[in-house]
Amino acid sequence: MHIFICSSGSSVQRRFVRRMWLSALFCVLFSLTAAVFFRLVHHPAVYFAWPLAALPAVPILGALMATGAYLKEETDEFQRDLLVQGLLYASGLTLAVVTASGYLHDFARVPVLPLIWIYPLFWCVAGISIVVLSRRYR
Amino acid sequence: MKNRLRVLRAERNWSQAELAGRLEISRQSINAIETGKYDPSLPLAFKLARLFQTTIEQIFLDQE
Repeated sequence: MHIFICSSGSSVQRRFVRRMWLSALFCVLFSLTAAVFFRLVHHPAVYFAWPLAALPAVPILGALMATGAYLKEETDEFQRDLLVQGLLYASGLTLAVVTASGYLHDFARVPVLPLIWIYPLFWCVAGISIVVLSRRYR
Repeated sequence: MKNRLRVLRAERNWSQAELAGRLEISRQSINAIETGKYDPSLPLAFKLARLFQTTIEQIFLDQE
């Protein structure tokens, strides 16, 4: 499957990859902006601090929309199926890791997994799952 | 599901990539169908049948 490689695959796949990279780029950019701002300004007004702190989550909505658009635009049902399977594995594993982290924190005082890592974890697992799954059908 | 896709393709001297191109899907999808690892939807099965000018039953083998 060429889904995560920008230079190959169908035009729909290339468009999806472009949108996902763009979303990741804005996510990092907004995170850096927020990090720098909160480092420099110690007690910002709530009406300004809250939207700025939540800003990195906006591109995540864009990524969800890009995924939805891909599933709608992709005419190759097998490729659609691969992505859906990858997303299912990612959902399952991410939920398991986060739940385990919660239990470990509550019962064994293990430091809890920071919530901002859940989204990157989800896509890492999705990417690995899709690569592994697609190798089965080469 | 077992199928005769490989045979039908060979009769026409088509590669997997060529068949994939005619159906506007990926070569990987053709391989998955041929090896029985993926069962196509009804619309894709009809598309295959139309392309090979045959019926779905002549391509996909009902093993029940």
